[in-house]
Amino acid sequence: MPGERKAIRKRIVLSNTNALSVQMEDLEKETLTDRRLIGSVVGLPENVVDSLRAAEAFRPTQVWGLFRRPGVLIREESVVLGEKLAEAEETKGSFRMVIDGDRISGKSMMLLHAMTTAFLRGWIVVNIPDAQELVIAGTEYAPIEGTSPIMYSQNEYTANWLGQIAKANNTVLHGLQLSQKHDLPIPIENDMSLVRLCELGARDKEVSWPIFKAFWSEITAAGRPPILVSLDSLGQVLQTSMYRDAAYKLIHSHDFAIVAHFADCLSGKNRLANGGAVIAATNRSHDPISKSLELAVKQSLEMKQGGKLLTKRDPYEKKYDERADRVLQGLEILQLKGLSKVEARGLMEYWAKSGVFRSRVDEKIVTEKWAVAGNGIVGEIERNALMMRI
Amino acid sequence: MKVAWVSHGLRDGLRYASSSLPIGSRTGLRRQTIAKSLKQLSTSSGLRGGIAAPEVDFGNPRGQEGGEKLKPELIMRLVPESPSYFTAQPRFTDNLLQLEHLLQRYSSLPQVQPGEAPRIAWRNLLEYRNAVGEAVKASKYHMIINILNRLNQIHPSVMPAEVTEAMNQYKRVINPLQNFQKPTFVDQNGKALGVGRRKSSTARAWVIEGTGEVLINGKTLAEMFGRIHDRESAIWALKATERIDKYNVWALVSGGGTTGQAEALTLAVAKALLAHEPALKPALRRAGCITRDMRKVERKKPGHVKARKMPGWVKR
Repeated sequence: MPGERKAIRKRIVLSNTNALSVQMEDLEKETLTDRRLIGSVVGLPENVVDSLRAAEAFRPTQVWGLFRRPGVLIREESVVLGEKLAEAEETKGSFRMVIDGDRISGKSMMLLHAMTTAFLRGWIVVNIPDAQELVIAGTEYAPIEGTSPIMYSQNEYTANWLGQIAKANNTVLHGLQLSQKHDLPIPIENDMSLVRLCELGARDKEVSWPIFKAFWSEITAAGRPPILVSLDSLGQVLQTSMYRDAAYKLIHSHDFAIVAHFADCLSGKNRLANGGAVIAATNRSHDPISKSLELAVKQSLEMKQGGKLLTKRDPYEKKYDERADRVLQGLEILQLKGLSKVEARGLMEYWAKSGVFRSRVDEKIVTEKWAVAGNGIVGEIERNALMMRI
Repeated sequence: MKVAWVSHGLRDGLRYASSSLPIGSRTGLRRQTIAKSLKQLSTSSGLRGGIAAPEVDFGNPRGQEGGEKLKPELIMRLVPESPSYFTAQPRFTDNLLQLEHLLQRYSSLPQVQPGEAPRIAWRNLLEYRNAVGEAVKASKYHMIINILNRLNQIHPSVMPAEVTEAMNQYKRVINPLQNFQKPTFVDQNGKALGVGRRKSSTARAWVIEGTGEVLINGKTLAEMFGRIHDRESAIWALKATERIDKYNVWALVSGGGTTGQAEALTLAVAKALLAHEPALKPALRRAGCITRDMRKVERKKPGHVKARKMPGWVKR
């Protein structure tokens, strides 16, 4: 059957009945910023799990299938992020952030935590699960009429994406009705809910992009809930894509409607009027190297640490991308490092309780795994403790 | 061989003087034997035909043709340096006789307790053979070594200079038994430096009391080594002694590949750890962190594709 093997490869198993069930607290709106929980694993509420699954927040490379039910480790950075999101909601402000860090240091998990927070707070979440899908010429594309310079829409992706958005934000969008007049290629009822609008777009891929634009203008109208716009694998959309135009030249990824929309959000051009956040995570495994991103991350960290710019733009470097540079100006960087020993211990105790880590969790074993994992890189601890069991 | 120039009248008196010049002696081992051999020279004024070498014929000393041949003022003939000349290995025989003589003379001197004599590395058989230029058998050389060991037993306070000098002839230039490891120490800041090597890699590790943080060339273990096996190798000394949570490591490593670098670090960390806790040495030895693995890449040989591999057979 076509696509069967890919489906097996991408399948996400969130529950394992062989695993021991662990008594743990569920994450709630009130406990999102609770510092007491740092270093403990908390469960994800069931309705949030459904939303996260619809938004493709779970990745096939993560080991959800080893445990009875999904749980996340609360670390220092997740609480800080939670506080920022709470502040954005209260002040109706917004922030733009890039999550960066070593390989398997938990960037995608931090994105998942941000989405969990948004769902629990009743935000609307617009997530691009893997930016790679938009630029590697794997999905169909077509020029949008009447645009100059030419923009391209990816209708099949957009339709699927609208379906995901509708499913993930079902409860919130059910309560929201159309409030504006839209000039759309298909007739729509005036008082339909936003879920219905998204579903219309998901059903007819030819009109999916105009419907997404209408949807966006609806959710940014006055009186709507805050929005979280998130994207994984940022490096993919900071340079030319693998698509070609009519003259057989490579198209820049920012010429694609969805990517351009996200880039405008990340650069602050698309204002989130009701507050919210734009968060992008980098990927150290298969992202192309983006010199612009490297420079932006380095400069941002220097400004944060010493308040002084030490690294200048290299005048001889040819691989900076101007359009990416404009997007990345003045971004906030969340640099993920290894776990602290307390956090590592909490995680390993959870594994032990789940029955997948079969040794006593004491100071010695925690420090050993922590040191071998490169001073607490969480994915390396997992690789060392769970995968390498002999 | 030596050449003796002796006049008729002065022959007896001059033999000593002329023969004290060693000619063509390459090593101290040969020079030793000369003085002794002089005793063997005859003092008779007549020629001993049939035993000694014939006299050297210089022809006419003045260079005149047809004149009456005069009786030469000087008689010269080749005389063996030592009476051992007629044995199969004369220099070895000389050496053995000299040592036996020394042993006989000083055998009554007080000795040290067995096992307390200073350890000396004698020249091995090959070096000795090269020095004397004779095909000495191992068992024969062993006789010399036995005597040397016995002479070495003489108490140092009464050791005659003559014996010391004789023994020095047989000592190796560099005594590996006196090659002591430099002691590592903890400096005033609490750091201890250890150096380790493996294959082509060299590692320096500074170990300090801490909480288990490891930085190698400015990178964490995970960034430095992809294989978990290598990461464990690098801090194996700490892991085997259950000290990971008690020390921090800051290391520099260069040369070689990943395995070599990781295992060079094992030794470096172990040595630095020993400076902090010398009592851990047996535990570290059991863990294999003390002994340097001396194996290196074997050199390529001519005619071979690699060190041992031979080219395949080709039909002409």
